[in-house]
Amino acid sequence: MKQRDDWRLTDTLEYEHGRGDPFAAAVRATRMPMVVTDPSLPDNPIVFCNVAFQTLTGYEREEIIGRNCRFLQGPDTDSTTIDRVRAAIKDGRDVDVDLLNYRKDGTTFWNALYLSPVRDTDGVLRFFFASQMDVTERVEAQKAISQQKELVEREVERRTADLRAALDAKTILLHEVDHRVKNNLTMIGSLLRLQVRSIDDPIMTTKLDSMLERVDALAVVHRQLYQSSDISSFDIGSFAENLTRDVVGASGRTDIAISIDSQPLFIDAANASALGLILNEILTNSIKHAYADGRPGILSVLVTNVDDRGVIRLCDDGPGISSTQRTKSIGTSLITRLARQARAEAVWTSNSPGTCVTITFPKREAGK
Amino acid sequence: MTNAMGVLIVEDEMLLAMDIEAMVEDSGHRVLGEAASLKDVQALTNAITPQLAFVDLHLADDSNGLEVSRFIQERWPDALIVFITANVARIPEDFAGAHGVIAKPFSHAGIANAINYLADGVSNPPPTTAQPASFTPSPHLQRRWAANQGVK
Repeated sequence: MKQRDDWRLTDTLEYEHGRGDPFAAAVRATRMPMVVTDPSLPDNPIVFCNVAFQTLTGYEREEIIGRNCRFLQGPDTDSTTIDRVRAAIKDGRDVDVDLLNYRKDGTTFWNALYLSPVRDTDGVLRFFFASQMDVTERVEAQKAISQQKELVEREVERRTADLRAALDAKTILLHEVDHRVKNNLTMIGSLLRLQVRSIDDPIMTTKLDSMLERVDALAVVHRQLYQSSDISSFDIGSFAENLTRDVVGASGRTDIAISIDSQPLFIDAANASALGLILNEILTNSIKHAYADGRPGILSVLVTNVDDRGVIRLCDDGPGISSTQRTKSIGTSLITRLARQARAEAVWTSNSPGTCVTITFPKREAGK
Repeated sequence: MTNAMGVLIVEDEMLLAMDIEAMVEDSGHRVLGEAASLKDVQALTNAITPQLAFVDLHLADDSNGLEVSRFIQERWPDALIVFITANVARIPEDFAGAHGVIAKPFSHAGIANAINYLADGVSNPPPTTAQPASFTPSPHLQRRWAANQGVK
């Protein structure tokens, strides 16, 4: 009871300038709005408020004293936050919340409310002490930021969806084009093969067969390119191995042994067709000339790299071929021209017995 | 020496069917029937017993190779089924029971090597010939050949 009377005493302090409790004087004079409520009275009314509180809320002291704090609430005050405050009061705990409050003139402000119980020496709850702070600017700024953030996120989401749709469309298109190219290449191959069967002239047949082999080689390049996850690079190493097995297998020549020392070797996809055709010309040439008339032998393929260039060496152990003979064939001029296109180099050397062709070409630039 | 196989060709593109037929015959085997759709396959006579079927995925009359594969397994359970398609990615993981795939565009070499390999395996499983790059087997093939091993 004594304590409560002390608080009452401060009521008159204002009028008795400077007399009484200096702490009470500080509470009166501080710029921080403060109230004290008395939970022992019905509906826990406000028994003290300072001037800063009056200024903040716009109410006169007479309008404040004796009322429960809820008179500051309004229609937009968050009810869950109110419940938190109520629960704290009921349990005699302190609580720290941001609450939307209403001034006398109906305008609103964000109130950073800190409420704590005041107990006497016996631990009996005597008062609640509440300090307020107008944090409208901070809350509004936070709201603005979160709205901005939401806006940005929505926009990012929308653009991501757009990009994904565009990528899907591109993937479908790529797939469709790949499918059509494959079907067309298959048809071209079939047409050539059917044509070859209808021609009796062996010279014509040989020429068409060479044509067919080239189309087949291009088909293998395309197939391998679109089977890989990265269509901008091409593994010429496994291509060389597959093509060698394919070409020798197609010749039906079980007496030609294959020796392959291969490794994955990546080149730019743009050069895949040119290098694929070069390899095809060299391989088919070897089988036709080095192993002519049923001559058995070993065809060896080495895939390696020297510095930043890829190297493929194809060697036969046939009788060898003179350079004058070689320069006359369309195959040789194809190799020369295609090599220039792919910035590659083809060099013929004697293998005694036989011939080696070494092709060096640019590897795919790392990190490209 | 490998025995000649009886082969079924299921392909809706006539040009390709003709070409495959020629390659099959060139390899010393016999084409028992050709079909462009599931309906065509169902209409084939029961009198034939193919050991190998080349099946395109996309077929006429809105039918597809997966349906044909299942039908062939029922009617000719001993036949090996090999898809020939430009759309390898569309084949389900279980291959609809089929034994392998040859990707389009195929080459003469690719088809010929696959036929030789399969013929070798049919007459004397598992084949001693090296598996050609053009042919991708499904798990069903290994299982079949493991089961048939020693059975002539």
